[in-house]
Amino acid sequence: MKFLFKISCYFMLTLFVTVGACAPSATQKPDSKTGAGAGSARPPDADSRAGEGSRGGAKESDTGASSLKGLQEGKPPITPASSPLKDVFFDYDRYDLSADARTVLRANADWLKSNPNARVEIEGHCDDRGTNEYNLALGAKRAQSAREYLTTMGVAPARLSTISYGEEIPVCKEEGESCWKQNRRARFVILQDRPTS
Amino acid sequence: MKFIVVFIATIFLSFPAFSAEIPQPYKGTIEGQGGQRFPIAVSPLRNLGANSGDSARLSTGIADAMVHDMELSGWFRVLDRSAYLENAQSGITLGTFDFKDWSTIGAEGLVKGGFSVQGDEITVELRLFDVFQNKERIGKRYTGRVRDFRRIAHKFVDEVINQFTGIPGVFNTRIAYVSNSGGRFKEIYVSHLDGSEKFQVTDNHTINLSPAWSPDGRSVLYSSFKERNQTVFLFELFSGKEIKFTPRGGGRYLGGKFSPDGQSIVATLEAAGNTNLYLLDRSGNVVRRLTQDPGIEVSPAWSPDGKQIVYVSDRSGSPQLYILDVAGGKSRRLTYNGTYNTSPDWSPRGDRIVYTGRVGSRFAIFTISADGGEPRKLTSESSDSEDPAWSPDGRFIAFSSNRAGKYHLYVMQVSGDNQRRLTGSGGDDTKPHWSPRLD
Repeated sequence: MKFLFKISCYFMLTLFVTVGACAPSATQKPDSKTGAGAGSARPPDADSRAGEGSRGGAKESDTGASSLKGLQEGKPPITPASSPLKDVFFDYDRYDLSADARTVLRANADWLKSNPNARVEIEGHCDDRGTNEYNLALGAKRAQSAREYLTTMGVAPARLSTISYGEEIPVCKEEGESCWKQNRRARFVILQDRPTS
Repeated sequence: MKFIVVFIATIFLSFPAFSAEIPQPYKGTIEGQGGQRFPIAVSPLRNLGANSGDSARLSTGIADAMVHDMELSGWFRVLDRSAYLENAQSGITLGTFDFKDWSTIGAEGLVKGGFSVQGDEITVELRLFDVFQNKERIGKRYTGRVRDFRRIAHKFVDEVINQFTGIPGVFNTRIAYVSNSGGRFKEIYVSHLDGSEKFQVTDNHTINLSPAWSPDGRSVLYSSFKERNQTVFLFELFSGKEIKFTPRGGGRYLGGKFSPDGQSIVATLEAAGNTNLYLLDRSGNVVRRLTQDPGIEVSPAWSPDGKQIVYVSDRSGSPQLYILDVAGGKSRRLTYNGTYNTSPDWSPRGDRIVYTGRVGSRFAIFTISADGGEPRKLTSESSDSEDPAWSPDGRFIAFSSNRAGKYHLYVMQVSGDNQRRLTGSGGDDTKPHWSPRLD
């Protein structure tokens, strides 16, 4: 069994290396545009890119890292209070936008329009009631609702990608509506090194 | 390789003729006198070979594994070992022990056996006796690796259940499941129902979900965020090989299930916020799109004949179960009770579908006839029970529940009786999927 495990580890490692090797070509555009990174060994997720882009250079750290990256690094998937892009919240098992959500999205759209180089990944999240796969689908709907509203407000669709984490990466884990409602959200994370999908 | 155990010989020591006294195969239940659970004694095994340091562990270990399975089935009342009267000189074959030692303590059935070890190999003889009739009903000899001794016990219990019900038991099987093992990542594991032979399928420190067996029991399909964007992977347990499923037109696979013949996979594909079902070949290539709805279409499961797929759609405004005719492409709504019905699984017998439904603010396991009608609630809404999956014989349901705080895996009879917790990982264990019967 150890042997099998080693094989599978080796396989996954190979997979990882392969993916890693592909990543630079996928990120050529932003790198070549700024001239940074050519021939440098800077890791793709480094977020020290002060001065890059226009109007202050939006950084991943402004919005907090992606929730998955946060999970991997042991950081809570919380948008900092200082983030220029605020979370929007949803009712249970819903993905339509409330008046409050639309107000937040309009402000997010304004910031995106005045920071035209910023690319954003919209994360859809759910509370943990219900089943995982349905919540993955629901989170995708929430992220898409937010994306569609932002594009309606004039943000270029190519700047906005979506991902659903379903109920998998909650802000809080207590039982009760005060916690659940914080988890039913769309988060906006500035991407620096990945093209929109 | 743990997964390539071949039991070299399964020799019938005797061919039990069905008599009128032993219960004939009848509708999947086993009862003792007066309609109670069948009272059975499982004697620790005799060491028939040379003594070794392992003797005591094997003697009780094999018996314990049989007791675990019998109690999990809910059909037996296994008499406590401390009540056994028999002396150590008694034999394990007919005529070498006294049935009175067992009838006195109330046993109607008796399992006796012995083993011998040669190097890494163990040979185990097991017999089922009818204490009332003073007869032997089953006699079997198994050979395997010493460390797989529990598997021999599972196989024998499956035979015992076959003797009583005409359908073998389902204890020589595995469960695939998701566990956080107390940490923040969710990884895929497979293990026997008693928690033994646990194998960690993923170890990528992200989120891995929705494990699903191939019908040959050799591979597990699962979804993962390990490459950042979620997609589905097919992991082959024997070789450690893995295939990644990449949607050609973009989007993400959220999960999938093998068709009963193992030739196709139905997968959920999310693209631009919409989820739909797609038919794939077993390498992950799209054969055709199955649903066209703009809403949510997730959690598919095949009918045992492979002609229909039950799945979840929110097209009515809330998640409900629908049944798709695979050839014709038409869907019909199955559930009308409640406002949240998800994660269906279709009984291998074809007649019923098990699913998770919301009751108030809690989740419970229900079954409903594949033809519709009134659902039957199987679990209490004093806690949450979710993610039901059928056993390969359709007589049991595995599920996860937080009734003891954390989420643990449980098994119950299709009636909802005998809900028993499986040995867990120490963390939250969810999303069980039951393997087919193994060799």
